[in-house]
Amino acid sequence: MSSKRSHEGYFVMDHRGSPGVPDEIVQKDGLVSGAGHGLFESATFTCNHCEAVVVKNPDRSRERAWCKKCDHYICDGCGMTMHKTGLCYPFKAMVADILNLQDRRPAESVVEQSALLTPKLNEALSNIILP
Amino acid sequence: MARYSLVFSSQATVATADTTALTANKYVALGGNSTTMQLKVNEVQCGGEATAASAVQIYRFGRSSTVAATSLTGTDLYNANLDATSTAPGTVALFSSNSTTKPQRSSTLGSLIAHSFNAYGGLVRWQARQGEEITIVGNTASLGECTYSGFTGTVASTVSGHIIYELV
Repeated sequence: MSSKRSHEGYFVMDHRGSPGVPDEIVQKDGLVSGAGHGLFESATFTCNHCEAVVVKNPDRSRERAWCKKCDHYICDGCGMTMHKTGLCYPFKAMVADILNLQDRRPAESVVEQSALLTPKLNEALSNIILP
Repeated sequence: MARYSLVFSSQATVATADTTALTANKYVALGGNSTTMQLKVNEVQCGGEATAASAVQIYRFGRSSTVAATSLTGTDLYNANLDATSTAPGTVALFSSNSTTKPQRSSTLGSLIAHSFNAYGGLVRWQARQGEEITIVGNTASLGECTYSGFTGTVASTVSGHIIYELV
């Protein structure tokens, strides 16, 4: 049985032999103050909806966005979108859809329809261009 | 299928904003070589090589809104198959640090990984857990190519590093 932590990646920033990075820069990256000095290590997760890598802040007290439909952590931006729309469209599903479209797309990218359809509908369908 | 390490060696850095053409030989672009090629990036590492003064690097790994095209070349780029016993696929991924049409970092998808570090003695690395990789699919914008380059605020310096990915 997998746990939430079984999805975690690893992030390290090593400035033990370096002047480091000012706090205002690392804070823009979403890291905690002081992360730009010395050795900073943290767990990461990859948002299942947009594939952005989020470096986890161990001191965060706010709840992290979690998608119950794909059973995975998602980033705050995708969390807000899911809260508004309720839609779950994992990136891996989108990739599968893109590859399926590529397999099915005719050489000229135009949908051909049966001549049995009404001429008007046939014309409308023939103008559909797949992405 | 085959896992590769794309190494960039002693590459000069420069600050470039999103949706702006990247500067020749100051970025790394990795993309698909066909409409159905799929790559999975599972490690990005970079270390500074500044020798005298502090030089903060604000590096970003993210998707391109304009992909590299025409006459792709890779100065000081090395794409090595990690498993010596594996057979290389017939078509390998596209990688470059220069091209006629330079890639542009997307303003919305261009910061999948934020790597800020000091090139004077600093290094940074991200490793994905298996199944949590970043996917590159196809060979067109915005999912068909990722770049690793200096964002606005990067101080000119020199860096080396690697991107480990799997050609699925």
